[in-house]
Amino acid sequence: MNRLEQLKSSGNKAFVAYVMAGDGGLERLREQVQYLQGAGVTAIEIGIPFSDPVADGPTIEAAGNRALKQGVTLQKVLEELKSWTFDIKIPLLVMTYLNPVLKFGVERFATECGKAGISGVIIPDLPYEHKQLVQPQLDKENIKLIQLVTLTTTDIRLDAILREAEGFVYAVTIKGITGSRDELSQDVKMFMQKIRKKSPVPVYAGFGISKSSHVDMLRDDVDGFIVGSAIVEAFNAGKIEEIEPLIRAVTTA
Amino acid sequence: MTKVKICGLKEKQHVQAASRADAVGFVFAPSKRQVTIEQAAELAKHVPVDADKIGVFVNASLKEIEDTVAGVPLTMVQLHGDEPDELVKAIQVPVIQAFSIRTKEDVAKLKRSLADYVLVDAPGTDYRGGSGNVFDWSLLDGADIDPDRLIVAGGLNPGNVHAAIEQTTPYMVDVSSGVETDNRKDTVKIQEFIKQVKGDSVEQTLEKVGFFGKYGGQFVPETLMKAVKELEDAYNEAKEDPEFHKEYHHYLSEYVGREQPLTFAKRMTEAYGGPKIYLKREDLNHTGAHKVNNAIGQALLAMRMGKRKIVAETGAGQHGVATATICALFDLDCVIFMGEEDIKRQQLNVFRMKLLGARVESVTKGSATLKDAVNEALRYWVANVEDTHYLIGSALGPHPFPTMVRDFQSVIGEETKRQILEKEGRLPDTILACVGGGSNAIGMFYPFIQDKEVELIGVEAAGQGVDTDKHAATLTKGTDGVLHGALMKLLQDDAGQVQEAHSISAGLDYPGIGPEHAHLADTGRVEYRSITDDEALAAVISMSRLEGIIPALESAHAIAEAQKQAKQMTADQILVICVSGRGDKDMATYAEKLEGLS
Repeated sequence: MNRLEQLKSSGNKAFVAYVMAGDGGLERLREQVQYLQGAGVTAIEIGIPFSDPVADGPTIEAAGNRALKQGVTLQKVLEELKSWTFDIKIPLLVMTYLNPVLKFGVERFATECGKAGISGVIIPDLPYEHKQLVQPQLDKENIKLIQLVTLTTTDIRLDAILREAEGFVYAVTIKGITGSRDELSQDVKMFMQKIRKKSPVPVYAGFGISKSSHVDMLRDDVDGFIVGSAIVEAFNAGKIEEIEPLIRAVTTA
Repeated sequence: MTKVKICGLKEKQHVQAASRADAVGFVFAPSKRQVTIEQAAELAKHVPVDADKIGVFVNASLKEIEDTVAGVPLTMVQLHGDEPDELVKAIQVPVIQAFSIRTKEDVAKLKRSLADYVLVDAPGTDYRGGSGNVFDWSLLDGADIDPDRLIVAGGLNPGNVHAAIEQTTPYMVDVSSGVETDNRKDTVKIQEFIKQVKGDSVEQTLEKVGFFGKYGGQFVPETLMKAVKELEDAYNEAKEDPEFHKEYHHYLSEYVGREQPLTFAKRMTEAYGGPKIYLKREDLNHTGAHKVNNAIGQALLAMRMGKRKIVAETGAGQHGVATATICALFDLDCVIFMGEEDIKRQQLNVFRMKLLGARVESVTKGSATLKDAVNEALRYWVANVEDTHYLIGSALGPHPFPTMVRDFQSVIGEETKRQILEKEGRLPDTILACVGGGSNAIGMFYPFIQDKEVELIGVEAAGQGVDTDKHAATLTKGTDGVLHGALMKLLQDDAGQVQEAHSISAGLDYPGIGPEHAHLADTGRVEYRSITDDEALAAVISMSRLEGIIPALESAHAIAEAQKQAKQMTADQILVICVSGRGDKDMATYAEKLEGLS
């Protein structure tokens, strides 16, 4: 059973944490994952660094560049994941741009993700229209291809995307790239309500979520939150414990 | 939404007719539709990258199957014989197992299959692998087959496929003889079949367009999908509107100063000692290069869409200057992203843009050159997509940009064709143009693509040499990859990280190439060669002194290759060079590199 399939039944709000694999050295990834699991997150997205991350803001791009300087590659990250022997109880996802996957080989990517215990894959530059490029291979390994929807997704596409959604829906809260923000716009709330009404799978809000005020605003309209830049920043600054109140604000209310 | 597979393809035109299909099938088993690995590999070049290429086999060995999968390459395998479960399990790519259905017992058999998908067909006659006979779809009623793995075949045609889908709700429908006339595939029937399945549904608005063979597509973040779709619609509509063309050509003639001459280069002809040489004079355009042709077209389109804010990237600054110029003309808000390195190299152009009222944003990330400027322009577009148009400068990016930029630059080739017919009464033997992203080249080549007797040569930047790590020879050295919204040829490392390109000419300093060029290279219609920094500089001197025309560094690459090419040609032949821009912007580089010139 794919761990992502158990998410909705749990009832609590989900907290999905993003980490950039290899930021500070690939050997740190296991302690980061163990730490986040211990801190009570629902799932972890493992980011693969890419030279041209156009959907990402400065925080994640800088983290990716640090990882690339360390020689981190998709292959090395998957090897690292396969070597882990500690107990992982929560779903792990891989978030990567398309090109490293194409270069690695889609079939091989799916197989290796399967061996590494990956439950889902997020590819921000692979829209619904082109998902057949990887969907059959991921299906074969029972790995979910997570779809993104945004404030600019038209209703006709939204329906098509949601009809085939699996795992969870990644609902982007802002018109823009990843990164911490002070305010979220008010139409986000209605947007989340609309998606949640139609979605067959849980709806998680992501991009720009960094404060408990964001969580409070959207709590009733989503099934969970995805936090990236704030966690990447905290790990980089050696202050990851400062993120714990945000995790608690989501998961225990 | 039910997917469509068109099976048994043998000819390029039929593969192209099936471009909206989700999968195409090549038959490797004995059949009148059988193809070799080599033939399938050739056909596969015309299949969009996100469509499945499925090989059909009957009782082949694992080795045969694996060799074929690697050789074409295939993304799925379809088995039509009595293949054992071990074989099904051993195949690395997803597997479709086919079953002939006569009775309910046959249905039970297919439910036990270990394959990822099961295909149901009517029993074969002469050959294994489907007969074209219609099977009784009602046999599937109540059979409890997972519709997500069910593929329906057997006697489907444009007339009955709708009913088959209603009754069986399959994952995919598969057709072969149903889209043939006299045992040969029929382009019209293929398209009609696809239309019948995809219908007037959502799928029609999501239809797959914007591919050149397997290259192209719309690989952009979801936030931009609405904008690229809107742009696609707006462009399709504008393209058909005579008023739009009239306005575009009005500005080309009254503002840019077109048409530009096709100058006979008498002294170059004598000095190079081969064919008659003609120069297409894009250097005479207002702002100094071909870039303005595209900037006008896109700016008019943006205003038509109600957008009055423009974002653009620039490398050497020529596209930035052209964009800033047009934004001044039309009173549009203009932001230009430019790499910090390029800002240093091209200070004059930076000032020109500022003088014209544009905001120039310095990009310090990555290699701080053109590639990174495109990244930042895309990010800016993502954040400001509702009221901003991204005026991309080359035949790159997500569909419809490569097509649209090509169309706006095709004025180069259209004029050239008309002019050479007037002057010589025939088409040229060879045409040369430099290629970075590829906009002047595609604009020059496109009107000649169907004229097979005209040899087309694109010239890339070899930098310090294609065997060093400092070059921009994307087609010579690159591999398939996705960057900036399209599948194209890319300079990248083994891990799929995009590498930095190098060229003395900032306008060719890009690690990718437009998708249409990648396709033209694959099919062999255009030949791509490369010229080093030093060879380009030598050509600058040569042309300046022979013709009194100081070319841009980019154009000098085409000129250098022309000098080599001329040696293989004879006096009764004609060669055309696209002089894409003038050298004013490069004067500081020329002064530095050619110091001591006498």
